[in-house]
Amino acid sequence: MRYSGVRTPMKLTEHEGKKLFQHYGIETPKSALVSLPQNLPQWGPCVLKAQVHSGDRFKHGGILIVEKVEQIQEKLQTLLGKNIQGEVVESVLVEEKVEALAQWYISLSYSSEIRGPVLSLSTSGGTGIAQAHTTSIPILVGITKEIAQRALDEAQFPQEDSAAVTEVLQKLWTLFIDECALVAEINPLFKTTHGLVAGDAKIIIDDDKNPSGERRIIAMDGDIAVLASGGGASMLIMDALIRAGGKPANYTEYSGNPPAQVVKELTIKVLSRPGLKGCFVAGAFANFTDIYVTLSGLLEGLREITPKPTYPIVVRRDGPRKDEAFAMLEQAKTEGFDFHLFGSDISMNDSAKEMVARAYPV
Amino acid sequence: MSILINEHTRVLIQGITGAEGTRACKEALRYGTLVVAGVTPGKGGQTVEGVPVYNSVKEAQTQHKDINTSLIVVPAKFALDAALEAIEASIPLVVILTEHITTQNSARIMAHAKAKNVRVVGPSSVGIISPGKGKIGSIGMTTSEIFTPGNIGILSKSGGMTSEIALALTRCGFGQSTAVGIGADIILGSDFADLLKLFAQDEETKAVVLFGEVGGTYEESAAEYIQGGFTKPVVALVAGAFADALPQETTLGHAGAIVSQGKGSYASKIQALREAGVHIAQTTEDIPKILHTLL
Repeated sequence: MRYSGVRTPMKLTEHEGKKLFQHYGIETPKSALVSLPQNLPQWGPCVLKAQVHSGDRFKHGGILIVEKVEQIQEKLQTLLGKNIQGEVVESVLVEEKVEALAQWYISLSYSSEIRGPVLSLSTSGGTGIAQAHTTSIPILVGITKEIAQRALDEAQFPQEDSAAVTEVLQKLWTLFIDECALVAEINPLFKTTHGLVAGDAKIIIDDDKNPSGERRIIAMDGDIAVLASGGGASMLIMDALIRAGGKPANYTEYSGNPPAQVVKELTIKVLSRPGLKGCFVAGAFANFTDIYVTLSGLLEGLREITPKPTYPIVVRRDGPRKDEAFAMLEQAKTEGFDFHLFGSDISMNDSAKEMVARAYPV
Repeated sequence: MSILINEHTRVLIQGITGAEGTRACKEALRYGTLVVAGVTPGKGGQTVEGVPVYNSVKEAQTQHKDINTSLIVVPAKFALDAALEAIEASIPLVVILTEHITTQNSARIMAHAKAKNVRVVGPSSVGIISPGKGKIGSIGMTTSEIFTPGNIGILSKSGGMTSEIALALTRCGFGQSTAVGIGADIILGSDFADLLKLFAQDEETKAVVLFGEVGGTYEESAAEYIQGGFTKPVVALVAGAFADALPQETTLGHAGAIVSQGKGSYASKIQALREAGVHIAQTTEDIPKILHTLL
């Protein structure tokens, strides 16, 4: 299957991440962000790096090394517009090539196991990190000199570099906390003759720092639109639909008793794509989500879509005000909607089979 | 018996005057659970559903020495302060319903809780119900009849699936000892393993059902704990098989449901659980069928 439009929205590009590094006093190589093959920096040798969110851009040809200044334009043109794992390259970071004496890996993230932040270190940075050494960081204390020294010793960093690396670690920690990051990673961290330089930046900011409340839609290759309810149930619904032979057109989810307007907008977004053969509206037995309100949103959305959806719409919902909600949809059948309504008398799994049987009639 | 919640539960609701807090209060009272006090800073002196409201946890505690559980339903931006107040007051069980608490603030809450030996359930918990004995939170809100007293423990990352599973069990004659919505954030106060330890000690619980999801390592940790000597039968339903084909770091329905390869993936969780002797259900209706063969 191919997926498009999928990325973690709060993952920064390298360029955005490096701007943060500069703000927090972490050295970065001389660089320029370009989006047109004009007014190019005249540095050589240099590295051209596609500004996409993929963690595998090196493997997918998103990083090119340029030995001679006159090759910059030509190589740049091979990168701009290139598709890297579903993302089109719109800008490229042109960066002076760094002469490195060593390449290290340092990363701060959260661990479910210790339920707090962890520092990961490796003396072999770059692509293909071997085993990184991890140390838990007490969040109420932070990275003290003692904690940094112990972690660096355990990860076998050279003694003579400890003080300099500790300084970078403490700056990265400040960024991690102040920016509310989930991940703050430098890989590689270059050791050069004139100090430590961040070769790359991977920063993921916590979505909950400024929750947008926006519902995300992950587009997929199939033809059955999915409007699922509930964080956990939505994933089970996808599994059930695929197991029954259905091809989902998307993954999306609404939960936490949203107002009708939210469901209406989501319905319009999800169903405004050609080639759909069905729509699956499903969820677990709701604890407190008002089924009447949410399905009103569905109906309002359906009424605004052109051409009018005439494919089968299988609804499997139960919970507060379900009977009123189903009476409303029953009534709306007269408008030409092909509703098939199920409560919790059939399982989520069986409702997926109902959906598939109606979307792909034999 | 049961775990966490029973007839002796005395609840303090932090954020009681808000819409969510008032709803939580009504629901607990309706189920016969004693809500003895509420807290909303600046609203001391009011009452909600007859429950007195105080300005601080300390003040509430002075008046109601029997408080043993705090239910936190404040908005996300006040959740850190609210939780720290409850932890500082050494209330032994703090259940956080609030969603969208930053991972950083959750880590701070857990660090303080550990130091004070306070048990936290959540964030993003749907609540806890010990059928017939008590309940807190939005769990089984208008549908308490789907939860019936019995011998099956439920631990679930998903609120909706907690009810869906209870419904499947109840319809096949399996009641529940306690059902806990553990939440599905990156950092949880109590994970599957922590609560399995309580079910191990609970004579009423004969088997446990887990609902897990892709992302994080809580299912793998549960498998490790079970393998280490949890002797009651465990049935697990794990959602997100489809996600193993999605790009890494995509976040699905919950904050902690982050697509990853290796540990954290659907395949990894199923393998770890199977190796620990856990029975894997593919659908909710499989769960009672499997339990019938085990009990």
